[in-house]
Amino acid sequence: MKVGVFLSEHVKSNDTLDRLRAGSFDVVLVQNGVYCAAIKENGQASPVLGKATKVYALSEDLVSRGLEPSQVDEKVSVVNYDGLVDLIFNEFGKTIWL
Amino acid sequence: MSIKKMAFIVDKMPYKSETSRLALTHAIASQTVEIHLEDGENVEPVLAFIGAGVLNCLKNQKASEVYGVTTLESHIQNALLTDIKVLICEEDVKKYGLTEDQIIMDAEELGADITSELVPFSTIMSEMESSDHILFF
Repeated sequence: MKVGVFLSEHVKSNDTLDRLRAGSFDVVLVQNGVYCAAIKENGQASPVLGKATKVYALSEDLVSRGLEPSQVDEKVSVVNYDGLVDLIFNEFGKTIWL
Repeated sequence: MSIKKMAFIVDKMPYKSETSRLALTHAIASQTVEIHLEDGENVEPVLAFIGAGVLNCLKNQKASEVYGVTTLESHIQNALLTDIKVLICEEDVKKYGLTEDQIIMDAEELGADITSELVPFSTIMSEMESSDHILFF
């Protein structure tokens, strides 16, 4: 099972994220991390989106910040709280919070 | 006896921390401080959003439904309602790929007479230079 990596800040990179073995984890964007899913800084999608094969963003954190799920990058899957619980129980063996 | 100009500059994002909310509440509170001052003394606030702080200014925030807290959007609208000059850095709005229609530009539904202004950073810099005090949030 994969590791679920929760990212809660709007960052361009993260040292730990860069060191994880490719393919071993999915990224879940939560809190201010959801800006990585929807904001194109200087026209460029966040480099964080290229770090994992699957990237999820929490819909509740998107709409709280005035971002619509339809605005997110095509690489990102939007999940709600229920969907996130399913991911944690069914897809992720472990979770880490960056 | 004088008017003190105070610049409240927000360069942090909303919600993860309370920092930007403090800027809004402090700026709004400064509008009511008059009752504690002598005649002829007052505070003239200006509120400016720069860098990642412009993300506070997105419309349609639903934090009250999701988190059960007041939205930064409502605080910005209250600032406009209390006639606080609200400046938003247009270079940073563009940098984050946002457009004016995504930004809180007025609080007409609350009855505010003034609107936010999208301005170049140089205008915000001038406001900081002409302020007696600068507070960064």
